[in-house]
Amino acid sequence: MLRDLRVSCAPHISEPLSTRSVMIDVIIALVPAMAAAGYYFRIYALILIPTCVISAVATEWLCNLIRKKPNPLESLGDFSAVVTGIILALSLPPSLPVWAAVIGSVFSIAIGKMVFGGLGANIFNPAMAGRTFLTACFGILMTSWTVPATIDSNMPQISANLPHARTQATPLAWSKQAIKTETGAKIANEQIQATFTGEVGGCLGETSALALLLGGLYLLIRRTINPHIPLAVLISALVFATIGYVVNPEAYIQPISHLSSGAMLLCAFFIATDPVTAPLTTKGMWIFGIGVGTITMLIRIVGEYPEGVMYAVLLMNAVTPLIDRFCKLVPTGGKPNV
Amino acid sequence: MKVAVKSRFTFPGGTHPPQSKGLTAESKTQPGPAVKQVAIMLSQHIGAVCRPLVDKKEQVQAGQKIADCDAFVSAPVHSPVNGKVKEIALRSHAVLGRSLAVIIDADPENNPPKQPGCTKFTDDFDANNYSAEQICDAVRQAGIVGMGGAGFPTRVKIEPNPRLPKETLIINGCECEPYITSDYRIMLEWTNQIIAGIKLAVKASGCSKVFFGIEDNKPEAIEVMNAALKTHANGDDIKIVPVKTKYPQGGERQLIKAILKKDVPTGGIPPMIGVLALNVATVAAIAEAVVYGSPLTHRVVTVTGEAIANPGNYYVPIGTSVEELIEFCGGVTEKSAKVVVGGPMMGIAIADLTTPITKTTGAITVLTSKQIGRAKFARRQTPCIRCGRCIEVCPEHLNPTKIAHAVKNNALDLAESYYISACIECGCCSYVCPANIEVTGYIKVGKITLARQKKKIPE
Repeated sequence: MLRDLRVSCAPHISEPLSTRSVMIDVIIALVPAMAAAGYYFRIYALILIPTCVISAVATEWLCNLIRKKPNPLESLGDFSAVVTGIILALSLPPSLPVWAAVIGSVFSIAIGKMVFGGLGANIFNPAMAGRTFLTACFGILMTSWTVPATIDSNMPQISANLPHARTQATPLAWSKQAIKTETGAKIANEQIQATFTGEVGGCLGETSALALLLGGLYLLIRRTINPHIPLAVLISALVFATIGYVVNPEAYIQPISHLSSGAMLLCAFFIATDPVTAPLTTKGMWIFGIGVGTITMLIRIVGEYPEGVMYAVLLMNAVTPLIDRFCKLVPTGGKPNV
Repeated sequence: MKVAVKSRFTFPGGTHPPQSKGLTAESKTQPGPAVKQVAIMLSQHIGAVCRPLVDKKEQVQAGQKIADCDAFVSAPVHSPVNGKVKEIALRSHAVLGRSLAVIIDADPENNPPKQPGCTKFTDDFDANNYSAEQICDAVRQAGIVGMGGAGFPTRVKIEPNPRLPKETLIINGCECEPYITSDYRIMLEWTNQIIAGIKLAVKASGCSKVFFGIEDNKPEAIEVMNAALKTHANGDDIKIVPVKTKYPQGGERQLIKAILKKDVPTGGIPPMIGVLALNVATVAAIAEAVVYGSPLTHRVVTVTGEAIANPGNYYVPIGTSVEELIEFCGGVTEKSAKVVVGGPMMGIAIADLTTPITKTTGAITVLTSKQIGRAKFARRQTPCIRCGRCIEVCPEHLNPTKIAHAVKNNALDLAESYYISACIECGCCSYVCPANIEVTGYIKVGKITLARQKKKIPE
């Protein structure tokens, strides 16, 4: 009477979740940041985001072809390449030429993800790997910050002018300048309000703290990410920045502005929380987050670069397997006495 | 009568699968089918397998012991019907694969379906009329095993053990599995019998405290039990504890954690912390066995699922085939995809519908492909993205994805270093996995492979 019965392990029902639905949640959470990018950088955002997404997806498809996957389109369905493309685009300078963005996306997917075996097997955050590659190759392009379209620039410029793009220094560049020359962190401090709305120079998607917080909140409410890593990153960075500010308020900018400017929020909610490259356990997540926050601030305050998020994330990605090894869970009933 | 109860007693971890109990929650326990043939498994419990005491073509009476074993950890089995032994042959067993069973052809004239429940129990029941030895002996003779699913012989559990003295009795009325309502119905319908059983279990085991855990999604059961306890002499010795509705709240270790805030040691058993845990169906069976000497030959089975025409709770002879039971319930309506012995979280999907009901079968769930979910139905697994959801829900605080991948890559020593043996196989990790990885499945395979390597079970 009953035919074609299926037999498999329990449980026989599952939560209506999939890798795709998780990735779609992340994409939805990135919409405010993309909208802010579109508002402030107009045509740059319209070019850069689709460029990165399309080249990331195409690269994954090509890699699948090379790996002779039976269905090279299958792995595209999880949308992880789309997420990588968007995050990479949001972390690039707005005026970056299209060819450079394509190179970055190809490196992100091909070297950052596919050579390790695809989704779930990569050690480093693909988007950050691509961005690091671009920084190493095209240093000047990667540090030219376009002025948001909403303001007429009357701010001083410190970086080389490129044709057709008016540029300005980012708040963190001012902060670095202040530390180096001890001329006072006044300009950076004046930009705090602008870093919340996004009306400052910077990477495409990192300027508006408000949009990023909105997206982060969505991810937390949807329980797509848990709060451990964002909290650990932000708290440790805040503590570090406060120490600097207390020591010398003239040279170091206000602590809160370290959180709202640069890629700190993008990192805390979207980059460091990439589950593939972050530790599995709660304790591990805190160690990872504190590591990311501290290294970022070390680079920002002590190091040579004004911004250190991508190096911090990559360094902590590298030690993630080690963290997982040290933070082994103990069963509820204690270790069995064998 | 509906009273909202909200409890905070619970354990860390766990999930909230849809309850789906509405299909059968209001259906009164009815007598099961008048069976033509039963297959009584010789192994329906944890412990030594029974040896048959009857021969081919021998006449047997309902309630007659047909197989037994001298081993301490074992339980005899009895015939639920009057009839003739057809043969002793292999039948498919939900848990063990294939196992020996006594096949009995029921006498068609002489087998009225047994009515569910005993109305004979009243609120003046006194367990002091029975000695502890008497109770233990009756429980052993009736072949009672843990009816919640594990099937551990109850006599071994309730008998006082000087090395592991028991103080607290925990009665498990959680029924956290979706769909199943058999325990819920007997709590409503056999209230006095359950209380009598609890009194007997207390008397036999020497426990001084009794906690009765019921999930807070069953306010009627909590109400009915509380009302009945008020009329009983010393009824307030038994304390009803509403616990939070969360899967797997009905797991022995999770219920003990929720009520007593104590952890049963990993790899250990509840008596190590002075606890005895019994399921409601088991205590009901104890009462019947001790007072009326009736062996465990019938049990309440919930036949449910969206694909069943008449879902309900039935008092079924043990040994009835799943096929006969499904047909008795009007057969299947939609295209059913899976027949599960037990609930959807921990039950076992069967392909052979002649599989008989055993003492531990609380439900038959027939699921449609829609309920199973598209990805699970297609058995499509994607790579682990290390999201950590399985770790969040694991009630035993393990690292399911690490264990599963260790097993997948045949690194059993690594799996052991992540405490694979501490897994209770509740299925929460597979349930929440966005990649649809059969985490629990891998862990089960790993446990069996390890046991084989250590020669604990044959190939």
